Parts: sequence; structure tokens; C-alpha cells
Amino acid sequence: MAIPVAAVEGSPIDWEVPEQQVGLWADAWQRFRRNRLAVLGLGLVTFLVVVALISPLLVHFGIIHDPIKQQVESIETAPGVNGHIFGTDILGRDTLSRLMLGSQVSLTVGLLVQGIIFPIGLAIGLTAGYFGGRIDNLLMRFTDIWYAFPDLLFVLVVVSVWRVSGTWFVQLIPIFGAIALVNWVGLARLVRGQVLSIKEKEYIEAARSSGSSPLKLILKHMLPNSLGPIIVTLTFGIPNAIFLEAVLSFLGVGIQPPQPTWGQMVADGTEAIYANPTSVVFPALAIGFTLLAFSFIGDGLRDALDPRMRR
Amino acid sequence: MAVIAGRPKRGALLPSRLTDATNSRIGSLVLYVIRRLLWMIPVVFFVIVITFILMHSAAGSPWDKSGGRQLSQVIVDNLNKKYGLDKPVFQQFLLYIWNVLHFDFGLSYQYQGKSVVELIGGGWPYTATIGTLAFLLIVPIGVGLGVLAALRQNTRVDYATVGFATFSASFPNFVIGSLMIVFFSVLLYKWTGGQFFLPAGGWGLDDHLIMPAVTLALLPIAYTARLTRASTLETIRQDYIRTAWAKGLSERLVVIRHVLKNSLIPVVTTLGPTFAFLVTGSVIVETVFSIPGIGRAFVVAVTSRDYPMILGTTVLFSIIIAAANLVVDVLYVFIDPRVRLT
Amino acid sequence: MTAADWVYGYQHFLNPALAAGYVDPFFDTTIKGADNYSNVDVSSSSAIDSFISGLGLSAPDANTFVIKLQHPAAFFKWVVTLWVAVPIRKDVVEQAAGGTFPSSDTTKPLKWAQSANTIIGNGPYKISEIVSKDHVTLVPNTGYWGGAPHLQKIVENFIEDANTAFAKYQTGDLDMMTVPLADVDVVRNDPVLSKQAKVYPKLTTFWMTFNAQKTPFNNADVRMAFSKSIDRDKLNKQVQHDIQQSILSFIPKGMAGYDTSDKSQSFDATAAKALLTKAGVTAAQLNKFTLLTRNTTRNKTLNQFIIDQWNTNLGLSMQLEVIDSKTVTSRIRKGQFDIYGPDGWGADYPDQQDWYDIFFKNSCHSLNWGCVDLPGYDTLVQKADGELDQNARNKDYNTAQKQLIDSAAVAFIFQDYEYNLIKPYVGNLTITAGDDQSLPGNFYWHDAYITTH
Repeated sequence: MAIPVAAVEGSPIDWEVPEQQVGLWADAWQRFRRNRLAVLGLGLVTFLVVVALISPLLVHFGIIHDPIKQQVESIETAPGVNGHIFGTDILGRDTLSRLMLGSQVSLTVGLLVQGIIFPIGLAIGLTAGYFGGRIDNLLMRFTDIWYAFPDLLFVLVVVSVWRVSGTWFVQLIPIFGAIALVNWVGLARLVRGQVLSIKEKEYIEAARSSGSSPLKLILKHMLPNSLGPIIVTLTFGIPNAIFLEAVLSFLGVGIQPPQPTWGQMVADGTEAIYANPTSVVFPALAIGFTLLAFSFIGDGLRDALDPRMRR
Repeated sequence: MAVIAGRPKRGALLPSRLTDATNSRIGSLVLYVIRRLLWMIPVVFFVIVITFILMHSAAGSPWDKSGGRQLSQVIVDNLNKKYGLDKPVFQQFLLYIWNVLHFDFGLSYQYQGKSVVELIGGGWPYTATIGTLAFLLIVPIGVGLGVLAALRQNTRVDYATVGFATFSASFPNFVIGSLMIVFFSVLLYKWTGGQFFLPAGGWGLDDHLIMPAVTLALLPIAYTARLTRASTLETIRQDYIRTAWAKGLSERLVVIRHVLKNSLIPVVTTLGPTFAFLVTGSVIVETVFSIPGIGRAFVVAVTSRDYPMILGTTVLFSIIIAAANLVVDVLYVFIDPRVRLT
Repeated sequence: MTAADWVYGYQHFLNPALAAGYVDPFFDTTIKGADNYSNVDVSSSSAIDSFISGLGLSAPDANTFVIKLQHPAAFFKWVVTLWVAVPIRKDVVEQAAGGTFPSSDTTKPLKWAQSANTIIGNGPYKISEIVSKDHVTLVPNTGYWGGAPHLQKIVENFIEDANTAFAKYQTGDLDMMTVPLADVDVVRNDPVLSKQAKVYPKLTTFWMTFNAQKTPFNNADVRMAFSKSIDRDKLNKQVQHDIQQSILSFIPKGMAGYDTSDKSQSFDATAAKALLTKAGVTAAQLNKFTLLTRNTTRNKTLNQFIIDQWNTNLGLSMQLEVIDSKTVTSRIRKGQFDIYGPDGWGADYPDQQDWYDIFFKNSCHSLNWGCVDLPGYDTLVQKADGELDQNARNKDYNTAQKQLIDSAAVAFIFQDYEYNLIKPYVGNLTITAGDDQSLPGNFYWHDAYITTH
């Protein structure tokens, strides 16, 4: 997709646009819509969300197999055998249904965790970078401590005091805490680095001397110019959170079987990698699918919000 | 400590020879590094405090066995006495700090009679070698792919990079490791009748290193490539870059330096902690490839409640990550001289 | 090596300050003078010394080692075969420790065992190299009383990942390994590998434990209902790929006491439901219970199957609770569980005495996790432990076993078998049911050899 050259100030390109300035968001949405990959990504994500929402209904009406029904006569079968399109797992459960139902947990974990990490990492990174001095030092030393935080231990302590029960969402709460608690540090350092390098540019000096408030300065000038790496970090955080859920479940925090999750399906499937490699490949593909979709959206979002591309 | 050219800082209070030194950028940088090194002490201290509290709050004692006969209460009491676990936690903490100041990190509970220093020192060379090897793969390949993808945005090269990055991120370490063993050890052995294959794990300063290093490097390469791409895109889209580029060869050199300077900051930011993680080991890669390093040490210590080892590995890691972040911050100044370190 | 080395070895092992495992209950309940083991003040060398000199151990001449017992014990001939009861040379220990040391020292006496140079033994092989967490190398001990062994080198590798071990076997890096359960069918279907695979029993039985201190698990009918609603055939033939074998009794195949005549715990869903009704227990009462599971893949898989069986066959909706292993141990020690499993026992030695003390009344919270109450059991078993006539012992143990089965103290599910791959050029390997895990034939490695290949 060609990058449109910035138009000369004042000359209208699209005469259908009304004379007053189009708002940032409407403008961004229009550009997003025209980015084919981004729209594709949006479509894929919508598809995943729909699947996550309707899969319990599909099971209820018998359209797909019951994901927790065990059929130990056909353990670890290859795709296509016995009416199981994607084969079965270690207890003879249908892989396709487990993938569909697993999307509920995995999408929630992947997305919500980023939703928690984003404001925390952003706030700390922006504050440290913008104000500098003592504040930066204290915040960054605080971050250093968090980098070394023994999250495994923390999880064990949680396990000691929190009895697992309830629906899968309730079981996820300590997981959100455990993952988000530690993973905001990378984003904070990233944002701070960006701010440090942008802070000294001339146009910032100019804006500052013209009396803009720090917050406005940050949000209007610094943030849009550093979005790219932030978005990449958040999209990569999604599969990371999905796998962390599986790792944590090995310690007993989080989703109890038989509720399927993509991360646990990959982890359990690794045992049978000789016997039935598809038990690993299919859930990994599902995760890859999700990451790809969000990568497209992320790229599209950044292009759409890029202030240099605004008229 | 702001570094603004031309403004004398502490010269008035220091002897004249040092005055010249502190006025220079290098001088103030050195002072900055020293200050940061001193700050590592409270950081490590707080990490120890947090770890201590969490350790003693987790259920399960080091002497519980996961199967078979449990130790009788008498023996448990004797063991607790031997390792000082019968004292109140606060006293144990003070004792630990006192010992650490004498570089004594205690004895492991699990590996009877071996000291923490001995265990970590013995395992670390293996871990560090593989970690460094992986890092040497990540930097050129990751950054190189990222820049390439940015310059050729939305072409096949770009899509191939995105595809590769997605693939690497969807398969976690343990899967990639196991798959590599299946392909490059077992299947390759079968197809070549035992003539050519990679060893399925274990340690050796030879082709034993290939698969673990590659497995470790794959996801960081993907992330670094995408990050570099995003960051480079931000930079090259600036109007003045495009204008300068159009002006011709002499300007282009300036442009390249300028682009690299601006796009490397986020990359360097993440490469620092990446190096720290690599060099303190991945539990998964070391498990799958049977490397006797310290990557597993922390996880094993936690699951077996080996308190001195938990503390030892955590302290090591906190020092390394603090040092890595320090190096990153110093590099900021070299990459972008405008950055003011505080 | 002289008899005095045996005395020293036992004294070393029985030093209360060193807190060795396996002293209790094997040695402190049998050796004369050892019953004071728990009461010795470990900070006082003189207290320790007087305890040790009071033990019934002596070496009247260089070739005779005498152990005095507190009371008759027919099983003691097995106790002395335990790996902890070995001779040690005092001079080696002291040299490694850097000189003599007081009895209350807890680190110096252990130094000899920490490096390959000083670790000595009296078996057919000696250790030439230890690479921590990687491997141990054994070479022949030319001074062995039975003559030097054939094998020139044995390397034991520590390999965490079963798939990696499988790969190493296939690329010729390993000569013996245990096949992970997931790959059993791969091996069976492979024309080459299937010929190299051997199945053999281990003296290990597994069962599910119910917390009898919680109603309604104090009711034997309820426990029996749970036991009878597990389809062991499916569990072992399908889920465990027909390696492990179903068992309805306590003592495993391969040692005296194995008896399959009592089939009270066999699978019968209808009878199971009837038992629940008879006991007057409702689903609502049971649904709040969870099955405590250790966080290994094997346990997760087995328990998902078992709880599915209970839910389907008894009309329940119970949940799993998968947690970190140490936390599980900590909870079962305090009785903080509803159902726990798979629990089991592997023989320390092939005598029934080693098994039945698990269910003593005072083993509650330390092996008898469910604290099941078995009237008359303790007296019966202790009588069998003390008898010298083997037939009388077997008869009494058998009665006790029947009591365990009929009152469903626990729900027995399978005996552990091992599926190993062994290269065809390893010859004269004698495999017994009592072999150590993943070391097939380790009692008779002296006789093994490698054929030309």
C-alpha cells in the first residue's frame, strides 16, 4: 500500500470532506478501513470472538462434539478418524471442539492481560521519561526490583491461600494478577526510552515554551510518535500471556481441567509429539492465527493514527 | 545529573585535575555509572526482602516428600535446627543478610552439602555460553530483518518477516525444542542412516550447541524484528528524512545514521533485559536439551522449597538485570547524544 | 573392608544429628538401643556418643558383624539390604572431612560422599566421575569379592525430558531407557523398536485415597461405591496403553502375598449406585468435594479420567484440584483434602511387613492419609510382623489384605509396570520386579555384557 505523501497545507484532496477539520478518530477510522490487511485482521478477530461466544451453544445443540466427553477407545487419533475432524487428544476428546471452547479462556487471558499492562506500563514509563531526575531514578529502580520479582514464588503463595473454584473466569483472576503484575515492566522501560529520546526534540521545546501543559504535551506529541513499538509489544504479549497461563496451570494456579485452554493443549500435546504431532500443531496454529490477526490490526492502527499522515 | 555542555558542575568543590574530568561528558557518565552501581545495593536488598517474605509464606516445607515415606517429626526438627529454620523468620533474614555481606550464600537443601555458590558457579558457564550464542544470533538477524522489512514495507519481504515472526511466537520454546529434536536428531538420523544428525541434547562445545541456541533465539528474533521494523517505520516516514534522502548520496549517510539513531532506542531497550534473561537461562530449553545449567535452578529450587538456592538465583538475576538496564541507559547516550540521563 | 567398617557405617547412618531418612521406621524400631533415636539431644556430642555406643552393633572379629535386635523380626534380613545400610571406612570419611570431627557436626561427615574421588563402596562398580545434574560414570571395581564385572563402563544420564531420552535412544546415544506413556504405541507399531521393548512388573501398587475424617467417607459403603465405579479396564488398557495392569488388591505381582481372589472392588456401576443409595448419600453432599491432584501430566490425565468415571457412573459433578506437588503434600499431611490420588506404594524390599504399616492407626497423617479406621487391623499386622514362621505370617497378612479390600480402605486401581527399550546388544541382563526405576537389571549388572555389534 503506497504511503500517501503529506499534502501541502490548505489544498483539499478529497472534496467530499467538509471544510472543518475532521476529528482524529474519524479520520483514523477512515484510513484504517482502507487498509486491507487491517480490515482482514479485524475480520479474523471478529470471527474468533464469535466462535468463542457461540461454541457452548454449538455443543449444546450437538453440532460439534462435546469437548469434555472422553472416548478412551480413540486416544490420540489422527485428523479425520472416527468423525473427529482434527483428531482427538490424550483422553479421546475432540480436538476441534476443545479448540473452539478453548478460545474463550485464551482470548480473554491474552487480551485482558494486555488491557491491564497497558495503562500501568504506559503511566509509569511516561512519568519516568517526562519528569526525569529523581522521579525517573526511583521509578526505574522500582522497575529493576520488579524485573527480578520471583513470580513463581508469588504464584505458589497465591495457591496456598486461594482455593480454586467457580467458573473459568473466576479461576482466571489470580492469573491476571500474576501475569500482569510482572509483565508491565517491559512496556514501562520501552515507553520511557521513547520519551527520553523525543523529549529533546525542537518541536517539543517549542510547544513547551508556548505554554502547553505536560499532559497535553505527552498525549498530543510524544505518545503518537511512539505508538509503533508499543503496539508491537502489546500484540506479542497476547501469545505470551496464553502460554503463561499454561505454565501457571502447571503450578496449580488458574484453569482446572477439563476446561480446555490453548496454552494447556499445546503443553499437554508436547508429550505426544512423536505419536500425534497434530495435538500440538493445531492449538499452536490457533494461537498463531490470533497473533497474526492482531498484528494486522496493530499495524493498521498505527498507520491510521500516524500524525504525519494526517491532512 | 543533567549533562548540558558548557555548564560547569561540581568543579568548584573538586581538585583541579578532576574538574576537567567531570566537565567532560565521559566524566559525568562515569559518575553516573558509579551512582547506578551504588543504587544496585538497595535494589538487591529489596529483592531479598520480597523473596524472603514470599518464600516463607508459601505452603510446603523443604522436607516434605512427594511420594514414599515422609520424614518423621523428629528428623524434620533436627533438619530445621541444622539449617536454622527453627529461628523466627526475621532473625533468619538478618542472619542471611549478614552472611551475604561475607559472600556466604548458604548451603543448598536439595543438593546436600553443596554450597549455593558452588552450584550456581558450576552451572552458570553452560547457561551463559548458550545464552550468549543465542544473543549473537538475535542482534544481527533480528535488527537486520526488521530494517529490511521496514524499508520494503508491504512487499513480499515484509510479509515473509511477519509470517516468520508469527510462527515463532505461536510455538513456545518447549514445542520448538521438541520438534527440532524430532526433525534434526531422530528423522535426520533415519534418513541418512546415522551419517548426519544433530545430537539430541546434552552438553558439548560443538554441534550440541546449535539446537538449544536456535531454540532460545527464535522468539526474541521475531520480536526484535517486528520492533525494529515498527521503530524504523516511525523514523523514515518523517518528512525531513524523505527530503534529505532525495537530496543525494552525501546526505544519505547522514540520513542512515539519523534513522538508526532514532529507531534503535526501543530495540536496545528490550535487548538489554533479553540478554539478562538469556544469560540466566531458560528452564524449558535446558530441560528439553538436558543442559546442566542454572536455568532450571530457580524453578527446581522453588518447587522443592530450597530456600538458599531460591535466594541465590534471585539475587544473581537481580544483579544481572540491573546491570543490563544500566548498560542500556548508557547506550542511550551514545546512540542519541541528546538524551539526558538523570 | 572389615566388619568394623560395617559397624562404622551403621553408626554413621544412625547418628541423629545427620537426620538420615529411612532410619525410621526400619532401624529405630529394630536395632537394640535405637529406640531412643528421637530423644537424643543433637547439639550435644556426648549425648550422641553415648547413644551410638549403646547400639547393638559389634564386630567380634574381622569377618563377623553382629546386630542385636529389640525383638524377633523375620523381615530384618530384608532391612539390611536397604541402600542406606552400607559399610563405610572411617579413615576415608575423616580424610575427606579434613580430620576428626565431633559427633554433633552436621556438615563434615557428609563430605566424603560429595566427590567421585572419595565416594567408596563395596559393589562391583565404583564411581569415576560425577557431573552434577548431567551424568555419573561407573567403572569396574577390580577388588570386588565376586570378581571384576564384564562391562567396562556404565554411564547413567540424568535426562529430564522423556522425549529427549527417546530421541537419544534412537540416535544411539543411549542403550536403555523407559518409554514415556505417550510413545508406547509408536514403539509398538515400529518393526525395529517393538523387538527391543520389554515390559516388566514393578513392586508398586496405586490407589485412590478418601479422607475418612469427612462424612460420608467414613462410611465403607461410600468408599466401596467410589471404587466400584472406576472402569479399570478402560483406565489401564486404553488410557495407560495396556502397560499398567489393573489390580483389585494390595500386594503387587512379584512378591509373596499377591492374591487376586477377593474381587469386591471390581467395576460395577449399578452396584456402586446401589451402595450410595444404601448409605443415604446425595449428589449434593458429594459435589462439593474435589480430587486433589499433583501437577504432573500423568496425574492430571489419570485423574481427569477417574473423576469423569465418578461423575458419569454415580451421577455427580465433582471437580479436580491440580496443584503444585509440595503444596499437595503439605495439605494431605494436615488432612486438608477430600479425595487424593493416585497414591501408591513401591516396595522398599519384597516383604509384606514393608507394606501393611501404611494403614496403622498411628500412620494417620503420615501415609494413612485418609485416617481410615480398621478395627483389629493393627494387632493382626503387628502379630504377623513379629512371627518367625513364614506361613503363619503370610496367612495373617492375607487376612489383613482382605480387610483392606472389603472395607475399601482405599480404591486399588493398578500395578505399575515399566516399558523399557533395551538395545539388543546388551546381553545377560537379569531384570527383577524390585529393580530401581529406570535401571532395569541393576541388581545383576555384574553379570551383564555387551555383544559385538
